[in-house]
Amino acid sequence: MGKSNDTSAGTGGISGELIRRFQAIVGDDAVLSATDELLVYECDGYVVEKKLPDVVLFPGSTDQVVEIVLACNEFDVPFVPRGAGTSLAGGCLPVGGGVMITLTRMKEILEVNLQDRFAVVEPGLVNLHLTQHLAGTGFHYAPDPSSQGACTIGGNVATNSGGPHTLKYGVTVNHVLGLEVVMPDGRLVELGGATEGLAGYDLTGLFVGSEGTFGICTKVMVRLTRDPVAYRTMLGIFETVGDATRAISSIIGEGIIPAALEMMDQGIVEAVEAAYGFGFPLDAAAVLLMEVDGLEVAVDEEARRIVEICDQAGAREVRRAETQEERQLLWKCRKQAFGAIGRLSPSYCTQDGVVPRTKLPEILEFITAAGERHGVRIVNVFHAGDGNIHPILLFDERDKEQIARVFSASDEILGKCIDLGGSVTGEHGIGVEKISFMDRLFSSDDLEVMGRVRAAFNPKGRCSPAKMLPVAGACGMEHIERSHPGKQAAP
Amino acid sequence: MNDPGKPISRAYDEIVPATASELARLLEKNSSGERRPLLPVGGRTALGFGFPIARESLEVSLGRLDQVLDFPARDMTVTVEAGCRMGILQEQLRQEGQRLPIDIPMAHRATAGGVVACNPGGPRRFGFGTMRDYVIGIGAVTAGGQPFRAGGRVVKNVAGYDLCKLLVGSGGSLAVISEVTFKLKPVAAASALGWACFDQGAMVNDLLTDMSTSQARSVAIELLGPKAARQISAESRQQLPEGPLLVGVGLEGSRAEVDWQAEVVERELRAGGANNVVWKEEAAAVAMWSALTEFQVGAESAVTFRASLRPSRTVEFMTAAIDAGVAVQAHLGNGVVHGHLPDDTLDVGRACSIIKSLRAVAVSGGGQVLIERCEPGWQPELDLWGTARGDWELMAALKKELDPGELLSPGRGIDGARASARPIETNEVGVGG
Repeated sequence: MGKSNDTSAGTGGISGELIRRFQAIVGDDAVLSATDELLVYECDGYVVEKKLPDVVLFPGSTDQVVEIVLACNEFDVPFVPRGAGTSLAGGCLPVGGGVMITLTRMKEILEVNLQDRFAVVEPGLVNLHLTQHLAGTGFHYAPDPSSQGACTIGGNVATNSGGPHTLKYGVTVNHVLGLEVVMPDGRLVELGGATEGLAGYDLTGLFVGSEGTFGICTKVMVRLTRDPVAYRTMLGIFETVGDATRAISSIIGEGIIPAALEMMDQGIVEAVEAAYGFGFPLDAAAVLLMEVDGLEVAVDEEARRIVEICDQAGAREVRRAETQEERQLLWKCRKQAFGAIGRLSPSYCTQDGVVPRTKLPEILEFITAAGERHGVRIVNVFHAGDGNIHPILLFDERDKEQIARVFSASDEILGKCIDLGGSVTGEHGIGVEKISFMDRLFSSDDLEVMGRVRAAFNPKGRCSPAKMLPVAGACGMEHIERSHPGKQAAP
Repeated sequence: MNDPGKPISRAYDEIVPATASELARLLEKNSSGERRPLLPVGGRTALGFGFPIARESLEVSLGRLDQVLDFPARDMTVTVEAGCRMGILQEQLRQEGQRLPIDIPMAHRATAGGVVACNPGGPRRFGFGTMRDYVIGIGAVTAGGQPFRAGGRVVKNVAGYDLCKLLVGSGGSLAVISEVTFKLKPVAAASALGWACFDQGAMVNDLLTDMSTSQARSVAIELLGPKAARQISAESRQQLPEGPLLVGVGLEGSRAEVDWQAEVVERELRAGGANNVVWKEEAAAVAMWSALTEFQVGAESAVTFRASLRPSRTVEFMTAAIDAGVAVQAHLGNGVVHGHLPDDTLDVGRACSIIKSLRAVAVSGGGQVLIERCEPGWQPELDLWGTARGDWELMAALKKELDPGELLSPGRGIDGARASARPIETNEVGVGG
């Protein structure tokens, strides 16, 4: 754990000449290089590993991104793109320092075409701003991560973000039609586009979720989705976590695809209730937030079946949101649950495992036991319908011994997800946090083939080095310190 | 006339591995020995695609890898070996009330690995998306015999690069697919298709605009030219209205959902100028879905193409194609058009002239015309994928990384297209264009 708060900047890696070049490209006000200014950029939402970039740049156009990348190549320095820094897996951690290219100034909505159902946006656009812009048109942008009020669409592309409503509508990759990408060597290419079924490989689909290792996207063409005509939003209250997870398995097993199916356990409900006062019962072991949407003629029947299944699973009560305000408040509680965790603990680590949906009861029992074994308090709020769990491990960042126990418990939980036939990340990405799991999830052959795919995009490994794959970035990048201070140095 | 299922020239030999590890061993042996070109073969439904197969090719048949490996119905996923027939699989899924909601031509013959590699689709892509939305895990073997996997068996997973997306539609040019995991959807309790004729393209465009904010949520919006309408009517044994442009709107869901939406759609079609709306339900709807799916492989035509267009530019393209005597079907909501050139296309010069004029219409709206099948020997002049695009170089780089010896399906993917294409034109429309 010795280096878990490493904030040493490798400023020696960037020459004054290169800084001046960057200033000429983006202007003085778009270059940060003083250590105190860089501190904000030492980590993202994954706070246990930190590393200062040498310089942070805020380009305002695709041309500027191209010029920055060309300069990085010329001076042989690594670079990493960043959106709002909401990654929960260290996706934006500048491993080995170098240049951080922050895209938040490129936030325009360039085109909205309702007839062909797409929009073209810049990568720094905040996710929610697109849906807000579309209000009243009958369309929205479907992927809705809990951080959608802050996270950027470019970041969503990098991590293939999900969200509560992706159960029915799909994750980011299902909604991206095309991309403009600055390749790691500075070439500008367009992948995919507004027409479906183009000849050749689906490079757009491959790029989404590549966590910044294939290049920097500078425009995103997204599909727009029709707004549902009607919703029914329900809150199921359960005496035991087991009853709640059995209800989830039954709903999916019955072939019902709700728009969302989210679970919060008692610990989270306490925090959310203290923050928002919705009127959640504090003595219930778990609540399920369940939403069906679609045609007015259909939603009541689906809602009725869900209530019936919950009753059979032993629900204490199923409440319905009777008004739009109640529905919005319920969703606010869910989406801002993470914000409420500050009431429980000074620091927390959100895990992101996936299990087959029928294995939810088993993994939740395991999580409880793992927490007890390691003396770590764990609360749960997650996308139950996808089998995507988010155990939140509470700790105090200042206590190194606690951090070690958090890592041990996390590792056991994720290992169990693999054993149950699942994955170690459903939507947060591998980043640096989970890189040590890659060779448990994949064989050396799998990883070697993935490495070759990366080499087609990023042969020199300068773009987001030491991410995703547990192998050297590429030839010539050996000088990058594989710090991974937290996990890898953990006992 | 070419049979779409028949290879243009037969390969001499085939290997028929019984397990994925045997497949890997045989490919490794070829790669380190004879280095013969390889042609992965499933149900032989798409072997006519692209350039002719080299005579010295070795067919890699997945026919014996035909098992359903894991169908945890309550998780709504299924894992199958690549040689599993789609028709058999769909039947097994249906018994649990589930399906892979992709329209697959010749599904009784087509195999899981084949359909992932060829990425077919049909009318219901409007409501349910395409293959890329359903493949959640994949196993494959490189030409060098290296087996690899990506994705997994859970419906949400972002660990590692999404090589599922890379292999969907790769046409057997990057690796031999050995295993696939699909996510599934429930079968619909009811389905219906409403058909109406329109005289003018402008009326159809207006209808499309109006329907884009319809209260109904149709799963298919089809547009047929007269020749295609006759073929689909004959294939499905269903009488359809006759007129210059035939629009079909497909609905699926519970009985109540379909009935309610049918009323909405009928009102919209009539408001758009249709005098009569004919509905096909139950068995008639099943026959129609099938005929609408099989049209793309059904005709004994000299040239079959697929166009990718913006939905708003599709009617314009359809009108030009109908005027040129082409039998055309559009998945109008998606801007995907299947076309068969007329029977009197007896020489490549005539075929090139029709394709060239249609390409001009497609490219002006940012679209593309891809030749799927043609008479032997016509490929070089027809320029299969049309004008080169900016991302082809990257595709070629991927091909080189995964198949450096150029053993897999030579000439059938990006390398064949690059060899025949014209260079990029500066007026191309792409992202943000």
